[in-house]
Amino acid sequence: MALVRWRDRELEPVDTFHWLQEQINDLFADFPRWPTTRGLFERTISPAVDVIEGPDRYTVECELPGMDQKDIDVSIAGGVLTVKGEKKGQQESKGGKVYRKESWEGSFQRTLSLPQNVDSGKVEASYKHGVLQIVLPKSESARAKRIPLKTKALKSS
Amino acid sequence: MAKQELQVQKEKEDGRRERWLLPTSTIQETEDGKIRLRLEMPGVSSDRLEIEVENRELRITGRREAQPPEGDYLLRERRDGSFFRAFTLDDTIDPEKIEAAMEAGVLTVTLHRKESEKPRKIAVTSG
Repeated sequence: MALVRWRDRELEPVDTFHWLQEQINDLFADFPRWPTTRGLFERTISPAVDVIEGPDRYTVECELPGMDQKDIDVSIAGGVLTVKGEKKGQQESKGGKVYRKESWEGSFQRTLSLPQNVDSGKVEASYKHGVLQIVLPKSESARAKRIPLKTKALKSS
Repeated sequence: MAKQELQVQKEKEDGRRERWLLPTSTIQETEDGKIRLRLEMPGVSSDRLEIEVENRELRITGRREAQPPEGDYLLRERRDGSFFRAFTLDDTIDPEKIEAAMEAGVLTVTLHRKESEKPRKIAVTSG
């Protein structure tokens, strides 16, 4: 092996152009995909939420990857559902170098006004694979009832 | 470009068009010189995760259980689809030594540097 003068790779002009070309090629690669968080306009961070209305319950699903169950706080007061907590970043980042960071961290809060027909005493919440699921059953009186039709035997004339 | 080509290839392999989402990632180097990738894939369990290394390319696919919602959406902010992301590994990374762990929808991939690439001190002997 021949000994050559050491040069910093980052200062290599050919590599710089190569890098630039790659960057330009990838410029729009991420464009049609939006981040999984909402609230870009309010400049606050809040996780993405789905609300699904089923025949006998509402289901709220909230994306909260990498959280500890005890850091999530779900409460209902005055017909308003509040999900709050603190999403912590990785502890090990101290001392090391961070090359890229797309995920968010910090405290968040989301509130949802609940319809009147929610039975707030029977609400259940679970956290699985980074998704928080809250099941809010509808109160008994609000459920759509099927009224059976009675067929009257027609008198034969 | 390579990423998009791969995506097209994946769609062909699967025979149907899947919608691919890019998991949000954090790339960091730890103090002891390991590279740690952290990918957020909420809703993906470890058994629906595929991690492949081919030609210095690390490919990560995470699928969610597709279950139709029981009812109608009143609010829909979560994006539908599976996760896919590819990374090109540097020459200094040992492709044989990759560790992965999945917890609470977050995949952590640990990449090790090749032994030959680690900085080491050379002692100077005085004669």
